[in-house]
Parts: sequence; C-alpha cells; structure tokens
Amino acid sequence: MRIWSWLSDPGLVIGGAIAGLVLACAVCAPWLAPYHPNDQDLLYILAPPVWAPDGAAEHLLGTDSLGRDTLSRLIFGARTAMEVAVAASFGAMALGAVLAHLAGYFGGRVDWLISRLVEIWLSFPPVVLSMLLIIGLGVGTDKVILAIVLVDWTRFCRVLRSEVQVVRGQDYVSFARLVGFAHMRVIVREIFPATLPMLITLFSLQMGISVVVEAILSFVAMGVPADVPAWGQMIADARINMFDAPWGLALPILAIFVTVLSFNLFGDGLRRVLDPRHRANGHV
Amino acid sequence: MTSHSILQIESLDIALRSGDAILTGVDLAIAPGKVLGVIGESGAGKSMIGAAIADTLPPGLAISRGSIRFDGLTLTDMTARTRRDLLGRDIGFIPQEPMTALNPTLTVGQQIGRHLARIGIANRATRDKRAIELFSEVGLDRPAQLLKSYPHQLSGGMLQRVLIAMAFASNPRLVIADEPTTALDVTIQAKVVELIARMRQAHDTSVLFITHDLQLAADVCDDVAVLYAGRIVETGRAEEIIDAPRHPYSRCLSLAAPNLDGPVAPLMILPKAMPGAVERAAMRGCAFAPRCPAADEACTRTPPPRRAVSPGHVSACHYPERTSAIAPPARRNAGDLAAPGEAAVLRAQGLGKAYRQHDWLGRVREVEALRGLDFTVREREFVGIVGESGSGKSTLTKLIVGLENVTSGTLHVVGLDRTSTPRERFFDQVQLVFQDPQSALNPRRRIGSLVTQSLECRGNGLAAKARRELAAELLAKVMLPPDAADRFPDQLSGGQKQRVNIARALCSNPRLLIADEIVSGLDVSVQAQILELLRGLREQASFSLLLISHDLAVVRHVCDRVLVMCKGEIVEQGPVEQVFGAPRHPYTMQLVAAARGRPRSDDRHAREASDLS
Repeated sequence: MRIWSWLSDPGLVIGGAIAGLVLACAVCAPWLAPYHPNDQDLLYILAPPVWAPDGAAEHLLGTDSLGRDTLSRLIFGARTAMEVAVAASFGAMALGAVLAHLAGYFGGRVDWLISRLVEIWLSFPPVVLSMLLIIGLGVGTDKVILAIVLVDWTRFCRVLRSEVQVVRGQDYVSFARLVGFAHMRVIVREIFPATLPMLITLFSLQMGISVVVEAILSFVAMGVPADVPAWGQMIADARINMFDAPWGLALPILAIFVTVLSFNLFGDGLRRVLDPRHRANGHV
Repeated sequence: MTSHSILQIESLDIALRSGDAILTGVDLAIAPGKVLGVIGESGAGKSMIGAAIADTLPPGLAISRGSIRFDGLTLTDMTARTRRDLLGRDIGFIPQEPMTALNPTLTVGQQIGRHLARIGIANRATRDKRAIELFSEVGLDRPAQLLKSYPHQLSGGMLQRVLIAMAFASNPRLVIADEPTTALDVTIQAKVVELIARMRQAHDTSVLFITHDLQLAADVCDDVAVLYAGRIVETGRAEEIIDAPRHPYSRCLSLAAPNLDGPVAPLMILPKAMPGAVERAAMRGCAFAPRCPAADEACTRTPPPRRAVSPGHVSACHYPERTSAIAPPARRNAGDLAAPGEAAVLRAQGLGKAYRQHDWLGRVREVEALRGLDFTVREREFVGIVGESGSGKSTLTKLIVGLENVTSGTLHVVGLDRTSTPRERFFDQVQLVFQDPQSALNPRRRIGSLVTQSLECRGNGLAAKARRELAAELLAKVMLPPDAADRFPDQLSGGQKQRVNIARALCSNPRLLIADEIVSGLDVSVQAQILELLRGLREQASFSLLLISHDLAVVRHVCDRVLVMCKGEIVEQGPVEQVFGAPRHPYTMQLVAAARGRPRSDDRHAREASDLS
C-alpha cells in the first residue's frame, strides 16, 4: 500500500530512476566504458559524435582535443562525481545531524553555541571557503570531499535542528525521560527515528549540490587531480574549442544538469511521501 | 417543518471525491428567532453543516445533492460572489477557537472596523462608535481602550465576546456557532452561552448551535438534532430529546455523560467506534446497529425510516419504543470500594513555586505560580484537582514528577523528599498519563513495545517472551485485545490510544499515578469508557491517582476527594460529595454553578447583572 503511493509520485519515480542509472554507471564504469578514459587516439582528435555528419562508430560521443573518448570520460566522470557526492553528503549529514540533535534536544547553552557557530559559518562565502580549503589542503578527491563536508554541514544542522525541536516537544519524549531513559537513549530511540525521513530527503538534495560543487572545483582545476576524469574538468578542456567542437562542451553540461535535476526531483518526491502531514491527508 | 424558516436544509448530501458520503440526507429547519442545536461526536459530520452553509468545505468535499435555502434564497444555486455578500452580513459566524480567529498583527479595532466597513458603515468615526456600542452590548469593559489592543492582550473569553459582537454587528438573520465554548474555561463557558442567548433575543436572530455537549445543548437550544455517522437520527424539542429520547443513540449519549447530581451511576459504554465514511458505505441497515443495545436482525438489514414519534419529534429507528429500556450494565460489586490506606503517598506542606522573570533591564521579578499548598494523598486514594486554566494545576504536576523544581515548602512523594532525593528513585513509583495520547505515544513504536517501554532501561533486561506476556497482561488490564500489541498507534482510535497511554503508566506498578486532563479531548462515549476503566482500576486499587480535570462531573465520577485550585492556591478541599454538594468557598460555588448549567427558570434576568463582569 505504501509502495503504491510512492510509485504514484512521478517526481520520485523519474528522479529515482535517473539517479539510480547515474549511480549504476559510476559503479560499473570499468565494464561500461569502451575505452580507458585517459587513452589517446590521435587519429581522431575533436571527433564529433556518431549522429553528426563526420561521426564515426569508434567513438559514439566523439573525442576531445587530446583524442580521448568522450563517452568513456563521461562514464568515469560519473564515477568521480558520485564518489564525491556520496562521501561528501554522508559526511556533511553525519556532522550536521549530530550537532543538530544536540542543539535541538538540549537547547539552552548548547543550542546557543551550535546555532551561533552555524551562523558564523554561513556568513562566510561558501565557494571562497572551499577554494581556500583546497589551496590549503592541496588537490585530490579526498580533499574535495572534505571541503564540501566542511562547507555544507550547516545546511543539515539548520533544518534538522528545528525538526528535532518539534519532536522534542512531543509528550512521548518527556515520558521517556520520566521513566528514566538516558539522554543519548532518548535521542537515538525516540527522536532520531522521527527525524530520519527529513534526513534522507536532505541527503538526496545534498547529492545534487555536491555534484555541482565538485564540477565547479574541477572546472577551476582545484578539484580532483588532472588524471582523474571529472565533468567540470571536461567542460574546462572543451571550452577552448567550443566553436569547433560544441558537443564536447554540451555533453558534460548535460550530464551535470540531468544528474542534479534527478537528485532534486528524487529529494522533493521523498519529502512529499515521507511527510506525515501529507500522508495524513489520505484518510479524512 | 414550518412554512416559514430562516434556514432550510433539504436532503443534503456531502461526499468525498471518492464518492464516500460524509453527510447523508440531512434535513434541518430553523424558525425565526429559534436556536437549533446540532449534537454529534467527532466524525459525525456536524461541522460540515456549518461549512456547507459558509461555503468553506475542506478540499475534496462537495455537496452532491440537496439544497440549502436561506430566507427564501437558495444558497446552493448562488454564484460565489452573491453568496459571499450574504455571509458576514446576513449570516454571522462564531468560531470554535477565538484565540486563532483574529489576526494577531492587527488591533481589535482595525479588525472590527473592517468588518463594519464591509457591512456598509462608510464613515470611520461612525464605525468606532458602533464598535464601542457593540462591545458594551456584549459586556466588555472599557470598550474604547479595547479597540486599540491586540488580540494577544485579551483573554479567550474576552476574544470570544469580541467575535460574538462582530457576528451580531449586522443584525444577521442567522448566526452559526460552531462549538463556541469548547476552548474556554467552565465559568466563562456559562457566560458566553448566556451572552449568545441574550444577543439572540435582542437581535431576534436564529442560531445554529453546533456542539458535542448534550448538557450545553439542553441549556441553550429550543430544538435539537442529533447527528450520528453523517445522518440525523433524531430531531425534536430540546427537553424531549434530553429527558425522553426516542433514539437509542441519544439515550446512550446522555447515559454516557457523568452527572453532578444524583447517585454516581455506572456510565453507558458503547462498544466499538463510529463507522467511518468507507465503512458506512458497506452498511445496508442502520449505521448505529452494530453498537446499539436494542438492535436486532432487522436493524442490520434495512435502513430505519425517519418518522414522527410525537408531533415535532422525529426518530430514525425501527424501535423507538425500546429506547427508554436501555440502561447501563450494573457494576459487579457496586459501591464496594477498597478503603484508602493510612500511609501518605503524596504530602505537600506550604508548597510553592515561583518563576523568576527578567525584564529588559535585567531586573528580576518573581511570579508565584503556586502558593502555600497543603494537602495529602493517601495510599489507594483517588484525588481530583479542579480549577481553571492558569490555576496552577499543571505546574503542580510538573513539581510532582520532577520536571520543575520546588522553590518553597516541602513535597514528599512516595515518602521521599522530592528536592533532595535523586531522580532515579522516583522513576518506577510515580507515573504520568499525558493529556494528548496522539503526542504521548511514539508513532513509530508498536503498542507492545510502548506499554513495556519503562522496562527498557532497567538492568534486568526482560526476555522478549516475558515482555510480550507482560504487554498482553497490561493490555488486558485496560480492556484492549492482546492482538493490539502488534499494531501502531495510528491504527487505534482515540479512546484506545488513551487506554494504551494508561496501560503504559501502569507497567512499573507505580504507587502514584498522575492523570492530567486525560479525558478532556475525548468524545462523550469514549470518555465514558475511560472513566469506567478508572473506576474499575480503583476497585482493584493498587495505586493512588491524582486526576486533574476542569470537568467537575468527571472528578465526581472517579475520585474520593477533591482539591479546588484557584490562582495558585487550594481554596477548598474535602470529600467530593461534600465539596460539590455544599461548596463553601465562593470560587467553588461559582464553578459548581457553572457546571450545573443555566437554570431553566425566570430568574435569568436577575443573574445577568452579576454574570457580566
């Protein structure tokens, strides 16, 4: 019954399907990609995709200025994007959620401290902050992940804190305290299950955001190292020849666009089906 | 009914988009200057009648058949625009919750000014004058200053007066009052009802009075219609329906309400719950038949005809004559209550609680929420606390369970000093039953896990099997089937949830149970179930109960002794019968008088002067 109501939400189904596809590409990249992403085929430089007049079947989506296969680079780029997105979103979620639960549950000084920290953090321009971090830490996939975690945990913290406060006001939380549950137990057993739907939704939205941030950082060559294929890097490379070979620019942009859109649709759909108020409307 | 009615509703059907009926074949008529009460429990569809007239049906609901005629005009055929012009001018409304009905960002004067402008007073000065007139008419003091105040500066009773003044401002032909007193305190309730009655006389307005309270309807209304599962089951003169009902449901309702006079009789308990819209569609016979004590085979097969049992008294029952024979089952060991023990479970001496407030200069001001309370609750004794909102009842519970600290005096709970003993010592001994079961039960836990929750953090981790057995035992204590243990709270009705709530509190065999307004949000028939359950538990009497309620009859039905609280002090205490039968403190007298309702006599005018404070 629950599953059926989920399937009747088009945003959730379409978003979930595309997001799932991107994730599958990322996992199976070595088997899916026709070439190694860094292999150069100097006979075909800036080859157009197969549907263009000069297209060749060897390179379905054409090649870039170094003769690297665009399709393979897109697929491996998905791998990088997903690796960063999953790890960074998870990290940001963990950090943000823990602080949000502490702030929302204990209130008072703890709340004051954490809320002020979030506010200070948020007043710093996020792109500048992440670039500063990369400059300080150096390039690398793990550094990109760390930069995103340190920038985006505030989003989780803010939204979840108010959610925790609502649940905190419920009588069942007071009851758990009155029968002698320890604070940690109350948070884990009584509050966390109630905030979990919101957490999952935010996670999905954060995936989309992380993909964008990773693309921005690789575009300015402050993201992953040069030998790791990434969508942002592909855009940067194709920029020089954008009038001769527009496809090289359009395809990675399309990949980013579709991926982010699908995670946003999925997240929005999750918010709709997991929202108890929405579900309550089902039976009057 | 009569040839000339202000409001005439004919065979009105309201249905969900799915086709399931919310209201079926509703016929109502209000004669000029009369008050018609619509009585029903939650889910009966009583508010939908008001919403249909006001064109404010919730999304997904629509009128599928029938007509609403107002003063010769057919509302259901009108364009939205003409209808809107009529509303507020010829049809006034008194809402359920005065606190949320006014915009908190505008002054009372601005809001009543807008309303007066809408009904055609163009001049600002005239509007103010009229508003002041109206405010004095509804008994509000210093009306001129009131215009400049914001809604949050007024009490609930004052706001309801403002709204009543607005409803009657245009001398409407009809006023719809949807549970106008439910959100208010008892003593204010009485005054508001009085006021509506007086305004109706002064303006010669008809009133559609929607309520769940039978007693209130008896006081206010000329005629009454009883609604059950979307159908009107009985209509007639108010006294007849209250005193000599001819439909089993009406009779059961009045038997289910505890009374303040006469012997404490067992309450009528209706099995099961009112069928929902979908269940009703599958029923062929009378919707009340599965719960009806007088039903037989025929009732479940054919729908009962609606016919007059006497002039002006219509009942939709196959056997209206059986109604008077319905009586609640006698108690097994009536009157034999376990005598309270001698040991004190709760003892307060000079107990006080003060809150410190800081103003913007940092100056500290003390606000006393409780002052010098002296009382004792003995073992196995059931004690009620009555008082209005703001009397300190809830603060007292918080002190007892340890959610707040005592600031003066001493409080001994289960023989231990509350202030100096560590919290852990009280966990199993004192339990609290929360008011709102919806909020008190974690919706993500199963009932079985909920009722045994208090064992979870104890050292002796109970085996799964023993825990299940305990859960079944506790559920049996509150008369729930053992298979309820596997369900989630949302799958239970309000009354069942409240019973789970009680079962959970009994899990650790507490010596003191505190019940904070545990029946106030429940329907009459569900309240009866809970009250009878408490009576039953009292016979076994393994614990003391502190029952906090605003409803004197509820306290009388369950408790031995009562404490009357007013503004943070105990003004009177003693055995229930003595306090309610012969109150000595003026505040108690006022409470008892308000709870007894308006005497249906001619001394009304004499009382008015003293009531309008």
